[in-house]
Amino acid sequence: MIKRELKVNLRGFVIWTATMLVLLLLIYLVYPSIVSDGKGNKVNEMLTAFPPELLKAFNMDIAGLDTAFGWLKSEGFVFLYLIIGIYSCLLGSNIVLKEESEKTIEYLAALPITRRRVVADKIVVSMIYILSMIVILGAFNIVALNISETPDNKQLLLLSITPVFPSIVLFALGLFISTFTHKTKKMLGISIGLVFAAYIFNVISEMGKSVEGFKYLSAFTLADSRGVIMNSALKPACIVISPVLFAVLLALAFVRYQRKELV
Amino acid sequence: MSETILEIKNLTKYYGKVKGVENLSLSLNKGEIFGFIGPNGAGKSTTIRSVMNLINKDSGSVVFGGRELTRDDVEAKSRIGYLPSEVFLYDDLTVKGIFDHHESFYGKYPCAARIHEKRQELVARLKLDETRKVEDLSLGNLKKVGIVLALMHEPELIIMDEPTSGLDPIMQKVFYELLREERDKGNTVFYSTHILSEVSKICDRVGIIRSGELIKAGQVDEISDKQLTFVTVTADEVDALVAELGVKVLSREGDTVRFANTLPDDELIKKLAAFRIRKIFIEEATLEEMFMHYYEEVPDDKT
Repeated sequence: MIKRELKVNLRGFVIWTATMLVLLLLIYLVYPSIVSDGKGNKVNEMLTAFPPELLKAFNMDIAGLDTAFGWLKSEGFVFLYLIIGIYSCLLGSNIVLKEESEKTIEYLAALPITRRRVVADKIVVSMIYILSMIVILGAFNIVALNISETPDNKQLLLLSITPVFPSIVLFALGLFISTFTHKTKKMLGISIGLVFAAYIFNVISEMGKSVEGFKYLSAFTLADSRGVIMNSALKPACIVISPVLFAVLLALAFVRYQRKELV
Repeated sequence: MSETILEIKNLTKYYGKVKGVENLSLSLNKGEIFGFIGPNGAGKSTTIRSVMNLINKDSGSVVFGGRELTRDDVEAKSRIGYLPSEVFLYDDLTVKGIFDHHESFYGKYPCAARIHEKRQELVARLKLDETRKVEDLSLGNLKKVGIVLALMHEPELIIMDEPTSGLDPIMQKVFYELLREERDKGNTVFYSTHILSEVSKICDRVGIIRSGELIKAGQVDEISDKQLTFVTVTADEVDALVAELGVKVLSREGDTVRFANTLPDDELIKKLAAFRIRKIFIEEATLEEMFMHYYEEVPDDKT
């Protein structure tokens, strides 16, 4: 089961990862020319014209755009969180549901394997791919930035770990919601919508005290890249809350799937 | 006395307010082919899917081999073969790939020792090409792959939902032979179909389902030979005769009526003796007529 799932989901993993690697590579190749001859300072000066709340939302108040690492800490990680989040949520919403959508479930359900095992094996495979994607992209960033400049490697390593926290929650959320439907088509829009909504809530929550509560609605709060940049440490709350949410959502998904009508 | 292998007890399943099956009970004996017949929408697939735990029962239970068949009883599932009415498999695999995948689930069960050999035998008899991709298979070939998957682990109970759709007559013959061989080995086949002629060809017993309720179950021979005749009578007082017998007239031409009769012959003749019969013709119902009779006699308000 695991072997087959690894094979079936490999193509999607390779496409998503390769696309992101190519985009990151292009940015790292182009970035030196953007910031050369003091142009980076001009970019930073230009940013001062933006409202502080907006700069804060993109970490631009604590990370300058005059280096590639600075870009990664601000816009780069926003892009990484979003893409890895969408991949994770789509994987969660599809990996079990596609058996129903493609009607192979009647075959699968007749095999001597429990429903719990089916879901568990698919979760294991998903985790392998999500974590592999984070590791590959993190390793690429570390290598690429060390070639072109001298980043704070501890901070870079910790930042590279942060996508794990929102991604596993978004995966589990996608999986749980998928137990309410039979068609993967319905889940595509829902998954992408969920991730963007989570991202927007996170941005809004940075805009002021009165809207700070939005952070509790967003899985991206768990990434806390701002905290890592400022303290060079992962927030213990994120390390605890993320796996707890992941476990709770998975438990709910197991319970739902156990009782689900499969045809 | 025959050993019961599968017992469905008081199965009820509604889809919202729509009845799937209601209070359905039936037993399958070891070493028989049990035909489960009924028109489209009668509740055959609902029954089968409830047995396979693909859908949730509202009430009732399914006992297999003496213990309740739950959705996570993998040991019991290893002894069941299932062919759904439409076969959907992983398109990216070849036929060999899907068979290898299937075999991998049975490694720890007693059937593991023979599963590959049985697969090869079935592939040869059904003339399947294992190198072809599942997505390229015709409906008939896909059905043949489904048959191999249902039989290769030599299950004690084989559940088949409309198994011959898509099979050509030659393959149907091979398929019937395979099922008879399974029966002769002591395995049981639960054979759901709406094709009446299949039942007389292959089944030992039959259950007739209509509107979610089992309306008749018994030996095929008993049902077809003894319990229904068609009577054509020409009599002077034909209206009184019909009223006396309480039968539904199938056709009428002057003093001649044709009706379906479920009375034993001697009782029928005793009743007819009260009238002046000019001509009488009693025909034994064919199996098809028998089933049509059962389909039609349940009033619609029961649905």
